[in-house]
Amino acid sequence: MELVKTTKSGALQRGFRIGKLGFGLVGSYLGYQAQNLLLSESGKAQRRERFQKRAGQRVSEELGALKGAVMKVGQLLSMQTRVFPEEALRELAALQMHAPGMHATMARAQFKASMGKFPEDVFREFDPEPFAAASLGQVHRAITKKGEKVAVKIQYPAIRAAIENDFKVVRSATFAGQLTGYLPTAGIDEVQRGIMEETDYVNEAKNLKYFREQFEHIEWVTVPRVYEEFSSDRTLTMSFVEGRTLGAFLETKPSQRLRDLLGARLFELFDIQTCELKTLHADPHPGNYLFRPDGRIGMIDFGCVKRFDADWREMQRFYENRGWRKSEADARRFLKIICGPNAPYEKARKILPDVEEWLELFHPRGSGDIFFGRKRDPAEEKRMWAAWHRCGRRIFQNKWMNPEYAFLSRADMGLCYLLEQLGAVVNVSEIARRVEADYKTSKAIAS
Amino acid sequence: MLPDNEHTHISIDVFYERTHLLKMKQGRRVQKKEKTKQAILKAALELFAAKGFYATTTKAISKKSRIAEGTLFNYFETKEDLALYFFEEELSGVMEWHRANKRLNNADIAEKLFAIIQHLLERLEPYEEFIGAVYMRALSPTSKLSPFSLDSQERHLRYLRFIREILLEAEGNGEIPPVGDFGAYAFGLFQLAILTHWLRDQSRGKEETLALLDRCLKMATHFLRKGGEWNW
Repeated sequence: MELVKTTKSGALQRGFRIGKLGFGLVGSYLGYQAQNLLLSESGKAQRRERFQKRAGQRVSEELGALKGAVMKVGQLLSMQTRVFPEEALRELAALQMHAPGMHATMARAQFKASMGKFPEDVFREFDPEPFAAASLGQVHRAITKKGEKVAVKIQYPAIRAAIENDFKVVRSATFAGQLTGYLPTAGIDEVQRGIMEETDYVNEAKNLKYFREQFEHIEWVTVPRVYEEFSSDRTLTMSFVEGRTLGAFLETKPSQRLRDLLGARLFELFDIQTCELKTLHADPHPGNYLFRPDGRIGMIDFGCVKRFDADWREMQRFYENRGWRKSEADARRFLKIICGPNAPYEKARKILPDVEEWLELFHPRGSGDIFFGRKRDPAEEKRMWAAWHRCGRRIFQNKWMNPEYAFLSRADMGLCYLLEQLGAVVNVSEIARRVEADYKTSKAIAS
Repeated sequence: MLPDNEHTHISIDVFYERTHLLKMKQGRRVQKKEKTKQAILKAALELFAAKGFYATTTKAISKKSRIAEGTLFNYFETKEDLALYFFEEELSGVMEWHRANKRLNNADIAEKLFAIIQHLLERLEPYEEFIGAVYMRALSPTSKLSPFSLDSQERHLRYLRFIREILLEAEGNGEIPPVGDFGAYAFGLFQLAILTHWLRDQSRGKEETLALLDRCLKMATHFLRKGGEWNW
């Protein structure tokens, strides 16, 4: 709340008041984030320090208490790496797995509300204490009457109504943005649709089945099985997946070899999804994977699955060969992918130097192959993000953005960040070539 | 002017002693009646749950409880009396349940209070129609069912004492600042409000009531903690 008081500008203050009205306790935090974007560099550093000292621990507590859309916004923010201070990022990463949630009495009552029976009537054992928080609910351990270990995800009650309310606030607070077209109403609709879809566990069960089938042939990945008889649209019972979350896994001090192996596998999964299946299981954030010392990976949280048409393989080639340099036709094609079909070529071309600069640092070319997860020195990193933001700003200001590209490149950077956190160095070009060849062969056999 | 803490602290007890004495003076006959009353209520509730409140006749109740229709009126003059007795029984049930529930001992105050109301709603669930039918009348101050009526005072106050005990415990271990009798009274009214919401809740499994209950209790304990002591 004090953060709000320190703001001097009238317009900003009004903005925060609106924010506070809608977001309650979280007002100061989201307010800070908005404020941070608008402040000058020097003021930013100062405020960041103050924020870190004061708000540190409180953030996830307060964000977590609110659930719904606000929590989702928190998770999205946490993926925008580097834009937010390291301290806040750590807080938000914690939020992904450990949000304060329903107490035992509430979880039991909500299970009854969604399944018509109390958990003790359905399972042989049911742990009243959750072991993980999902963005819209929490997960409990249980043992079925047949003795199978399961994870029961229970949704916070009436979350749909809460999200609809939150979006009303979001819509009214961003009215100006919608009018000017910087924040297209269709974009907000899309986000809302996505989040609403995520609240429907029947949909998540469908996604789980799909990925279980698609990854059946890969023995080192585990996708949980759905127990339909113990599931509804607000309760999801799945087979229990063993493994540690990224933070806990790193605490076990895994060897570099294991880290590289897991990193390569993470990229392989990502590459199959983006290039072959054209279906991506959520943003690659650390909370969606479980790691095991034998190199196996568990995938969890299939609420937010995106399907798309974009040819990401083509994009990879552009990145690898700097394809736009070859001819004007190639450059036109490349810019169309990034900026969408409405961007005039002559104008859009101006982003190319920034793209080159960013790419030289993000996907540096050594042997021609691209490596993810390499350590960069801080000055380089700063330059890289500056180029990225210049590029983004130009696209944003001209209202060009191709949404599929925006989504995929964010996922790409998310994975890159995940590999960095894991401390794995991965030759992604090599893996991409292997996956492409594998799928070509299997498609040829199938046809 | 609002009374100071000392006064509010004894008020529930003072009222309780008085109403309790009144009840005792009514004599043993009242207590003997208790068993018959319970039998009638049991029969009536079974019928309400099976056939619905409106379709159930006094004749059917008398038949099921094996008590002559004329005698029935000696025990319960009106439907309100039946409802009053029903609520009293349910509140006693909640108190007994809470005392027997060991797991809740370690829960925080918000969960304890949540559990109490949720358990009450769980008990009331099969009789929703019946409760809905008599509920609006209960809000009238002249009704016997009103929380302020003399007829309901004794058990009502017993329930408030029970709530206050829980609040005192939370005050004792520093969970909340002292709230005095005010806390118990406020909880009583809050429970009434939740019950009203519950009766009108159309969401599946009445999950909106769960969410409301949870949010209100979290907010209340949050403000109590941050606000420090109540300054009357």
